[in-house]
Amino acid sequence: MARYGMVFDLKRCIGCNACVIGCKQENSLPDGVFFTRTLSEEYGVYPAVNRVYIPTLCNHCEDAPCEKVCPSGATYTRPDGIVMVDPDKCIGCGSCAVACPYDQRSEMKAEAFKDGLFGTGEITPFEKQGYPRYTPGMVTKCDFCSGRVDAGLDPACVVTCPTDARIFGDLDDPNSKPSKLIRERGGRPPLPEKNTRPKVYYID
Amino acid sequence: MAVKDLPIVGDSFKLGYRLQRYWDTPMASAFFFGELGAGLFFVSLLLESAQGMMAGLLITGLLKTYFHLSHMGVPTKSWRAILRPDRSWISRGLIGIVCFIGFGGLHLLNVMGYIPGFGGLLKLLAGAAALVVMTYQGFAMSHSTAISLWNSGLIPVSSLTYSATAGVMVLLASVPESAQFLIPVALILHLVVAAVLLSLLHAARHGSPGARKSAELLTRTLYAKWFFVLVCGAGVLLPVLLLWFAGNVPLMAMIAATGTLAGYYTFRLLIFKAGVFEPIMSFRP
Ligand code: SF4
Ligand code: SF4
Repeated sequence: MARYGMVFDLKRCIGCNACVIGCKQENSLPDGVFFTRTLSEEYGVYPAVNRVYIPTLCNHCEDAPCEKVCPSGATYTRPDGIVMVDPDKCIGCGSCAVACPYDQRSEMKAEAFKDGLFGTGEITPFEKQGYPRYTPGMVTKCDFCSGRVDAGLDPACVVTCPTDARIFGDLDDPNSKPSKLIRERGGRPPLPEKNTRPKVYYID
Repeated sequence: MAVKDLPIVGDSFKLGYRLQRYWDTPMASAFFFGELGAGLFFVSLLLESAQGMMAGLLITGLLKTYFHLSHMGVPTKSWRAILRPDRSWISRGLIGIVCFIGFGGLHLLNVMGYIPGFGGLLKLLAGAAALVVMTYQGFAMSHSTAISLWNSGLIPVSSLTYSATAGVMVLLASVPESAQFLIPVALILHLVVAAVLLSLLHAARHGSPGARKSAELLTRTLYAKWFFVLVCGAGVLLPVLLLWFAGNVPLMAMIAATGTLAGYYTFRLLIFKAGVFEPIMSFRP
């Protein structure tokens, strides 16, 4: 069984946010909800200044604190390591949101589904086909596009990225692209001191 | 660039600290009324005040439940919160609340003479369940490493001490005859609350970057005036002075209790609001 993970190559990311739009489209995310973000930061002193872009999403932690605190059993880990949220079981208590050190949980506020993407109360056909996958009020997150993965495809953000800054694959396979990159370029997990054992790594 | 220099960035696409925003006023109110009711019940149980026990059960049973339900995204499925006591403090707490209302109610009926027998056992079970409700919310917060301010053994201690203090003060304000016994207890409890607050701030100031940011929010920037005026001033200093100099005067005891509750509620709210998520520093600038 595979153990899926992702590598972000910070040398390649240009901060175009195509991945963010790809994710919103694939997952029919309501207004204000993002399962992935590309953060930016400037550093240095003029004239030696620089800007770095840091993509983020759910790290599908091996020791996922969001799963441990979930009182309803809605959050669970698939055998392939993808951390999932069951919309039929989630009660929207937010325990997972305050337990995730990476702030990667999103509240699916009931009003957002009523107001629609344009805030007019009109629900477009695009939204109509996408919203039924969520229960209004639930708290959810990125699932590595599990439906696409099951169909043998890469997550939407990975295929949308024009610079190949997002690399997805099986971390248990030493010959997979992410495994090689982690090994050869010293991949680092985010906030390792939180002991969550993320399956997302950064290289630069 | 060091992590400590990064700003609070809200929900933007910038790198920096993000304020915890998922547990807010309704959840703070639920925590407050849960601990207040359980504390009042526990103190009333020790002093055998049936009115106090009834008030405690009503506060926890009605107000805590109401605010929890108003916080939940999917309130109709809230019963599911009881399903994972093996791993979740929320589930354990919910079982504690059910036991508290059940055993507490039975004990109250027993004290009032409506049901006979098992008095000692019911008292023990009701007291134990009340203690669980007085502390579990602190464990629910301190259990996770995400928010460094909360990830401290002092958080359950603060729940227990504030809960007991609030219970004593409400009883003191409503049953003036108990003043002689309760005033020294209340004074000691307020001093313990002050010690817990100082220890919490000290630990945060010397903790991880996120904890330091939270301490800064509470004592120097965004929430400092609320923290010093309401949590420290109204919640600790005012009651201590009033109890020390005029605790026997019922009006003064009522003002002192109001101050304690105002400080306690503000503490509950600010401890949520001052929680921050730390920035991801997975690059070498
Ligand atoms: S990144 Fe957050 S939401 Fe994702 S698995 Fe880890 S703790 Fe859970
Ligand atoms: S909000 Fe949903 S997924 Fe998160 S802890 Fe509560 S029940 Fe579990």
